[in-house]
Amino acid sequence: MKNPDPTSREITAMLRQWEKGDRTALEELMPLVYDELHKQAARYLRRERADHTLQTTALIHEAFLKLVGQREARWESRTHFFAIAAQAMRRILIDHARAKHQAKRGGANITLALDDVEPVSGGNERDVDLLALDQALGRLAKIDEQQVRIVELRYFGGLNLEETAAALGISRATVVRDWSVAKTWLRRELTR
Amino acid sequence: MKQGWEHAKQIFVNAIGVAPDERLRFVERECSGNEALYNEVKSLLDSYKDDSFLETPAVTQLAETLSFDTPELTSEQSFGHFKIIRQLGKGGMGEVYLAEDTKLSRKVAIKVLNKRIGAHADNIERFTREARAASALNHPNILVIHETGEADKAKYIVSEFVDGQTLREFLKGSPISVSTVLDIAIQIASALTAAHGEHIIHRDIKPENMMVRPDGLVKVLDFGLAKLMTGGPALVGSEGPTQIHNQTAKGMILGTVNYMSPEQAKGERVDERTDIFSLGALIYEMVAGRPPFEGDSLSETFANLIKAEPAPLSQYAENLPIELHKIVTKLLKKNRDERYQKMLDVLSDLRELRDNLAFDDRLERSKSARDGGQPAEISNDSSSKLQANTFGGKRRIWMITAVFALVVLAGSLGAYYLFSNRSRPPAPSERKTLAILPFVNSSQDPNVEYLSDGITENIINSLSQVSGLKVMSRNSSFRFKDDQNDVQGIASKLGVENVITGDIKQLGDRLVINVHLIDATDDSQIWGNQYVRSSSDIFAVQTEIASEVAQYLRVRLTDNETQLLKKRYTDNVEAYQLYLRGKYSWNKHTLEDVRKSIDYYDQSLEKDPNYALAYSGLSAAYGVLGNNYLPPREAFPKAKTYAAKALEIDDTLAEAHGAMAAVDLYYDWDLTEAEKQLKRAEELDPDLSQIYLLDADRLEILGRFDEAARKRKRALEIEPLLPQFNFVAGATSYLAGQYDDAITQLEKTVELEPRYYQTYLFLGNAYEQKGMYAKAIDAYERGITQGHRGPDLVAALGHVYALEDERDKAEKALAELRKMSSAGYVSPYWFAVVYAGLNDREQTLAWLEKAYQERSNPLIWLNVEPQFKPLRGDVRFQNLVKRIGL
Repeated sequence: MKNPDPTSREITAMLRQWEKGDRTALEELMPLVYDELHKQAARYLRRERADHTLQTTALIHEAFLKLVGQREARWESRTHFFAIAAQAMRRILIDHARAKHQAKRGGANITLALDDVEPVSGGNERDVDLLALDQALGRLAKIDEQQVRIVELRYFGGLNLEETAAALGISRATVVRDWSVAKTWLRRELTR
Repeated sequence: MKQGWEHAKQIFVNAIGVAPDERLRFVERECSGNEALYNEVKSLLDSYKDDSFLETPAVTQLAETLSFDTPELTSEQSFGHFKIIRQLGKGGMGEVYLAEDTKLSRKVAIKVLNKRIGAHADNIERFTREARAASALNHPNILVIHETGEADKAKYIVSEFVDGQTLREFLKGSPISVSTVLDIAIQIASALTAAHGEHIIHRDIKPENMMVRPDGLVKVLDFGLAKLMTGGPALVGSEGPTQIHNQTAKGMILGTVNYMSPEQAKGERVDERTDIFSLGALIYEMVAGRPPFEGDSLSETFANLIKAEPAPLSQYAENLPIELHKIVTKLLKKNRDERYQKMLDVLSDLRELRDNLAFDDRLERSKSARDGGQPAEISNDSSSKLQANTFGGKRRIWMITAVFALVVLAGSLGAYYLFSNRSRPPAPSERKTLAILPFVNSSQDPNVEYLSDGITENIINSLSQVSGLKVMSRNSSFRFKDDQNDVQGIASKLGVENVITGDIKQLGDRLVINVHLIDATDDSQIWGNQYVRSSSDIFAVQTEIASEVAQYLRVRLTDNETQLLKKRYTDNVEAYQLYLRGKYSWNKHTLEDVRKSIDYYDQSLEKDPNYALAYSGLSAAYGVLGNNYLPPREAFPKAKTYAAKALEIDDTLAEAHGAMAAVDLYYDWDLTEAEKQLKRAEELDPDLSQIYLLDADRLEILGRFDEAARKRKRALEIEPLLPQFNFVAGATSYLAGQYDDAITQLEKTVELEPRYYQTYLFLGNAYEQKGMYAKAIDAYERGITQGHRGPDLVAALGHVYALEDERDKAEKALAELRKMSSAGYVSPYWFAVVYAGLNDREQTLAWLEKAYQERSNPLIWLNVEPQFKPLRGDVRFQNLVKRIGL
């Protein structure tokens, strides 16, 4: 990334705006991040990565480098970028799940953790109904927004506990606690 | 609400910190009468579980969701020559379907490649090359790639369908025992040993790439397939560093780091030792329930992999054998020079450990059985899901007296008896020796007997083609059909070191086959497996068993042998089963059974009109009828037509050339043509004992007794335990005029196998020629007492009584022959035998002439048969001999 994309400065600026609390910056950033992540993901597929688990962090990294450029990349903006990217990932995944869901009306739930040889559906306790999860997150946002952010960063963004703590500016212990509560809450919602 | 939630959350978080059985009381106290709060916290606690929920990032789905442009095939849809049954799974590469190959009517797994990936010429080329490499790997624990191709503009790969779960799924179940861990590890190590032998590294060993079938067989997937992806297998030493995109930014590693070797994760050049490391990680996880270097994040895992030592395995499993701990430690050495260097060494150590544990286990069991205690378990887990290594005995439940019937009845059938019984010449010392004992039919249903016999025979036939193995013929092995208890005793009688026993049970549409490979030198089990298959997979399972046996005996297969092991004569399961039934009936050799066999062969050919073996079987069946039960003119033309038909379909079928040679010899009396067919048969399959007997008959007829004796000796080498072969040697001596030798050999044969009636015929013949008539009568009578009152022995008695001048007894024999001919076909030849004894030259010649008109097969020995010696000067006799073509 010796020659960052012409827009990278603008993006960096937007990130800084957002860090300072400018919500409109986020609105402008999101579509860019969304598109870039989507492109990165597609590129990985073209690179025959398919059998291997795609690592979210890798994808986001690449998108970040693409959008912001290495020279501009400070640690803080990186962690903040992660927060946006995690949301973008959530949207990408939910959009696809929805598209698929409509395509196969009444068909099987969209499940996670699919490998090439794993069954399409059934039996796997790790399988999560993405659309139901998204709706549950919507409900959770009404009572505890921080937990939703944590879920986004951990589950959609693929961040570890420390990275999540850094991105949200809270302690690791809080992340551990809220993550556990959020998972319990969501599990209860999804099994209701 | 938010406030209530904060409160509930706080109580919930605190409650988790309390011991589980104290929690509710704690919550009750904290909520102090607030019922809504209590209910909220309690329902959260009910949902609380420390598991993997949401722990795997959602993005793993991205690959799948982005691949929606792959053709989605629906069930019943046709795709090339495949009919889709259902989707099995999908991923970024494409989609996997269960389909029926309509050409070969078998179930297959078909992977349809994502068009985007298939669009790159490089990918396609690499993909086909690697698929070819993978298909060169013939190993029971490696997924078989059947073919690759293109249909509807999509590339596809067809592989065998493995009906099971991934090791990942398997591990999610209840904890597994040490013996199961070893069993799985051994199978994987065995697969990788084979792959490394072909210079192929897998490089992506992980639980997702292993399939475990319900019967315990493990299949390693993505050989060759994975090559299309970075991180896939590569030719040993010919591949650059693993491509990991960690050059630009930290933490950007794609792939399954949990099972990567340090050198692979660092992006260094890898060799087969990377698989050795990955196997170690896999075994570790099977025992510990988590991968050895797993960290909270990717970078942590990475760091652990490079620097940290994994937690000792003993921490996860009590009573873990120290040897297993040692093996895993050596597998997981970060410096590859300190690791196991060869997968074969890993395999040996794993096997040794398994065998030792099994031995200890048996010892324990026998001890505790003596003490009246409960048998000890290798591990705490007594309900191991895998039952692959059962050491339990299998007892025969029901058995027919087939061997007895075979021995008694087969004699009059000439070389037909030995049709399609293959085996090997005596082994050079480096060849492994093996006997496959008849599989026991444990279905309690005699109608499935054909299956147990048939499968045994096919495995014998398959393995006989392997040059590194000396396999006992069917005839020798089947002598022990009724009593297989003393495996070591049987092995020493057959002169083999290894013995296979098995049993088969049919449960509805399922076949359950147990196979045990036993080292007879110490009576230990080398390998055992249970196969549960649908009846339609019967071909595959036989090939599988044969391949596994070869593998476990560490016999190297040549390419050609690999092909031969896979060769099928039909792809129609019903046709095959009917053929087996036919073969089974035919082997019993009674008139009724031979007729039944014809019926089965006919039905088999209705199912598969191009089934050369069934035609060959028909030819043999009609040959038996023509030699024994029917006027030759009724039976042999059919035998000839069917042999010709078999050859037309498959000119490389040794059995069919043998069948044709028999017709040439016994019916057409065309010795030149017979010789040609036999030569060709011998080229195709030098271990078909039948052809040596036919050839010996041919040489005898020509008076070339020494050569005939050599051919008989060759057959005897192939079939060391068959009394018939001692008998035929004695018969040759008799025809050669060496009566003393004949008597010695035949008396010995009688001792070995008193039930075999034809020995008595030639024994009596020999005594007759020595002028020892009483001995001859005694011999014939003994033959009749053995249960055979056939025209040959009756005529022989008439002949010797006539020589003794007991004319009335000779006349009685003639009367009996006449009576027999009204009930069934009796060759005029036997009348001639009695008249020859009576010295009635006119009648003798008249009956011989009649036999000639009917083309009765004993006539071909006319010129060498001592009983007709007195007629040899007669012009009419000479004329007859000439007309026969001798």
